[in-house]
Amino acid sequence: MNLRRTLVMARKELLHIVRDPQSLAIVIAMPVILVLLFGYGVNIDLKGLLVVVLDQEGSQQSEDLLKHLQASSYFHVAATVNQYGALTRALDRGDAKAGVVIPWDFSQRLHAGGPVQVQALVDATDDNSANILTGYLQSVIQSYSAQLQGDWLQNHGVAAPEVPVVVQTRTWYNEDLESSAFIIPGILALVMSVIGAFLTSLTIAREWERGTMEQLISTPVSAGEIMLGKLLPYFVLGMMDTILCALLAIYWFKVPFRGSFLTLMIASAMFMVVVLSMGFFISVLAKGQFAASQIALITTFLPAFLLSGFLFAIEQMPIPLQVVTHIIPARYYVTVLKKIFLKGTPLALLYADLIPLAIFTLVLGVLATRSFHKRLS
Amino acid sequence: MTNETYSVVLDGLTKRFGSFVAVDNVNLQVRRGEVFGFLGPNGAGKSTTIRMLCGLLRPSAGHATVAGYDVARSPEQVRQRLGYMSQKFSLYADLTVMENIRLFAGLYSVPEKQKPERIAWALTMSNLNGRESLITGALPGGWKQRLALGCAVLHKPPILFLDEPTSGVDPIARRQFWALIHQMADEGVTVFVTTHYMEEAEYCNRLALIDRGTVVALGSPSELKDRAIEGDLLLLECSRPGEALESLRRVPGVRDTAVFGSALHLVVEDAATAEPAIRNAMLRLSNEVRRLERIRPSLEDVFVALTASRRAARERTA
Amino acid sequence: MWSRMKQMIVKEFIQVLRDKRTRFVLIIPPIVQMLVFGYAANFEVHHVPAIVLDYDHSQESRDLLSRFNASTYFDVLPPATDRAQFHNAIERGDAAVGIEIDADFAQALRKGQPAPVQVIVDATNSNSALIAAGYVSQIAAGFAQQVQQDRVARITPQWIAVVPSVQLEQRPWYNPDLRSRWFFVPGIIGSLTLVLVITLTAFGVVRERELGTLEQIMVTPIRPAEFILSKTLPFFLIGWFDVSLIAAVGSLWFKVPFYGHVSVLALGSVVFLLCMLGVGLLISTVSSTQQQAMVTSFFFIMPAITFSGFGFPISTMPQWLQWLTYASPLRYFLVVLRGSYLKGVGIDILWPQIAAMTGLAFLLLTVAILRFHKSLD
Repeated sequence: MNLRRTLVMARKELLHIVRDPQSLAIVIAMPVILVLLFGYGVNIDLKGLLVVVLDQEGSQQSEDLLKHLQASSYFHVAATVNQYGALTRALDRGDAKAGVVIPWDFSQRLHAGGPVQVQALVDATDDNSANILTGYLQSVIQSYSAQLQGDWLQNHGVAAPEVPVVVQTRTWYNEDLESSAFIIPGILALVMSVIGAFLTSLTIAREWERGTMEQLISTPVSAGEIMLGKLLPYFVLGMMDTILCALLAIYWFKVPFRGSFLTLMIASAMFMVVVLSMGFFISVLAKGQFAASQIALITTFLPAFLLSGFLFAIEQMPIPLQVVTHIIPARYYVTVLKKIFLKGTPLALLYADLIPLAIFTLVLGVLATRSFHKRLS
Repeated sequence: MTNETYSVVLDGLTKRFGSFVAVDNVNLQVRRGEVFGFLGPNGAGKSTTIRMLCGLLRPSAGHATVAGYDVARSPEQVRQRLGYMSQKFSLYADLTVMENIRLFAGLYSVPEKQKPERIAWALTMSNLNGRESLITGALPGGWKQRLALGCAVLHKPPILFLDEPTSGVDPIARRQFWALIHQMADEGVTVFVTTHYMEEAEYCNRLALIDRGTVVALGSPSELKDRAIEGDLLLLECSRPGEALESLRRVPGVRDTAVFGSALHLVVEDAATAEPAIRNAMLRLSNEVRRLERIRPSLEDVFVALTASRRAARERTA
Repeated sequence: MWSRMKQMIVKEFIQVLRDKRTRFVLIIPPIVQMLVFGYAANFEVHHVPAIVLDYDHSQESRDLLSRFNASTYFDVLPPATDRAQFHNAIERGDAAVGIEIDADFAQALRKGQPAPVQVIVDATNSNSALIAAGYVSQIAAGFAQQVQQDRVARITPQWIAVVPSVQLEQRPWYNPDLRSRWFFVPGIIGSLTLVLVITLTAFGVVRERELGTLEQIMVTPIRPAEFILSKTLPFFLIGWFDVSLIAAVGSLWFKVPFYGHVSVLALGSVVFLLCMLGVGLLISTVSSTQQQAMVTSFFFIMPAITFSGFGFPISTMPQWLQWLTYASPLRYFLVVLRGSYLKGVGIDILWPQIAAMTGLAFLLLTVAILRFHKSLD
């Protein structure tokens, strides 16, 4: 291996990237856009869902409940309606996620004593927001109920009992339950998949298509030097993008960063080698640029998006699919990212995820090198 | 038809891309049944001109009429009357021979009744009878070229535009191709062809030499050869041509030197006075002269001479 | 005119259907993606591993914990014996939720003082944490209500029937079992269609430009509008075929019900497909190579899907982002899809969505055709 020849190759490759506006766009704009996209577009805490209230009674009592509902900061009472039809229509049209119906005999039945039902019609097409919204509604109604009971008992000469059970929830690693903190570290895996596999898969295919590969082979440069020279710039750019994403996450979206930067760099470098090798491997095998980019998309980007635990919890998938996730390198990297960002896990305790990643690095690296040698000869 | 004798007329035709002038005020008339060559180096504006004539590009200034129709105003009428074949093979590689032919028959609206006859004709012409169901992409280069020509003339166009039609085709196939072109010209088809192959230009009835967007010479190949070079042309064969190329430029009466195969071509003011001077110079260099004689310029000489003198003039003014 | 277009359309179909790879691409990946997406995209939370630390060992604490055991939301691990073990389980990720009951839990309850329950939620694992925390609160609140009721019964048994209370009766509409799959499957149908039709159209045109066949076609008397129409009609039909295919897999395999009107969904699909053809054509006019088309498509597709309400409700996004979502045709189509599948609403509710898509289709196609004319120059 000749270092100078390798660097000459790397320089040429870097020129390709810098001169091609499209590649440059991927390298610079893609990470920023992806981080902003998911940072703003993905919201798990779902505050501010819209609710309409049908107050069939219109008494002081029912308005009291309405005020309680309106005071909640977890959802937004968008309108009060007079007719059941208007309420169902709001749900049908999607103008509101839930409709709360206060019955026409609300105060009367409260006076009579015993439990009174308040109906919540929830648009459950989106089960997740339906679940969360129901929880919020539930807690408002429960606290209202407890307050009513306390007042009633006091009026009857019994000391108002306090709320019997207080649940003190602490969410570890992400105290504010900010969804950006869950999501954004995982975006690093997406960005690196795109940069690594997507771009590299195109470069080799391009050299074959344009016939420049034969020109290269006719010079004394060796296969190893070509490969290393081609991948080096992408490695450097990929690592720069990792840093860029990390900075955006930490300083723009205020994602906590509790681990060490060095650990992040080591894990990222390993994943970078994995995706670069995959891209290179695809590039060697695929016939043209189009096929290469399609295969790269299907084998790297989609699994990193769907099966890595980036957005959808792996434990909630059917068992066969859970098994499949074990052969997705992004799965391990996403886990490591979340641990470094949110838990601050030190390098030594990340072995369970880093060892599989190292195996992928090795296997894919060897596979890419060998297939390239084979194709050349 | 407004003009019976001229089927292609360019009148001050100009195309600018931003500040770059690709075609600059070109005036030409191409007669019916003529094989008209458009000769020039790469980037001289050949393809841009032909693309304007086919209605693919809109002229920035000037007019052009093809078969009597203005290319900018009625491109569709124009296109119905022309056949076009580009330097790049551009039929569908993944269709069969027959499917390509049928496609273009449809695109040119060949009437149903004439279709079988035209298709059979195209197959015979391109010598692809019995190979109708082969995938086009798998054909050898020369066959593809003939098929492309066959598809371009399915609708019997009175005018045929060929943009570097034989690049990448072997010499035998090229010869066959030109035989076909002349056959069509004999039947009254006007052929407008761009090329930078000199030997190909020799096939044309008339040539326009274009450089940097302007026509620098116009005439039949032999007219150009007689007219274009001021002075005489000498051929020199010697033992060390590389050395002679440089030093002979300094000999009085020698205007220009150029390598031609293993020999040199020298442009001189007057053959009679220059010859002894050259022999003397060579003697001083002890460079053995094997052959020195006056020759008739080839098109390439004409081409090199014209573009070189223009370039020199431009550099002087700049 | 018709004879010219007919030949173009015939040619387009021959090209698509002859190539084994293209045939494969049109059928297998959409089905596989539908299946993987359908299984992986899931916000339901079940069987969250939970660990308990009970310092009280009272009847009351056992009562509360048995409620967790009974719930399918949690899989309760063997109880921890000390705090170190308890914390360790969460740190290692063996448990995602930890419930700790203090030694004076029962005593506080009996005295009528608030009895605290400490809950720790591992918030690194996407949105499961929030939902799990919600379930913990719900279970605890149910327990609290029971305790309260018991206490009233103990102190003043005669009042138990007359103490007022308000209960929330929840009715999840449209998706009574709150199945995530019912929510995602219609969304996947829309998203896959979007990706497929845009890339097909963009690549179909750009490939012709790259190979030079576009130029050969444009010197024939065919008009640009005829070319575009005959070029896009096959893609429209193929898109239509794929929508049906994906929808069939979604309905038959994942058993998502269809309550609406086929005609309304068909109408919505037509205008949506027109929008996608417009986008594809537009991309083809700004790209001269297939690689550029790939990158440009990627830059459009990512935001178009993220901001469509595919995974998260639009109403919880920042306001400026909500305005942006109006530009994504998928946003409207998803409402039509979910409205037709789950809500069973008709044209009276869905017409604004269809009208918006029609407007967008008109705009996109007009701009695309104008740009196409220009791009020929």
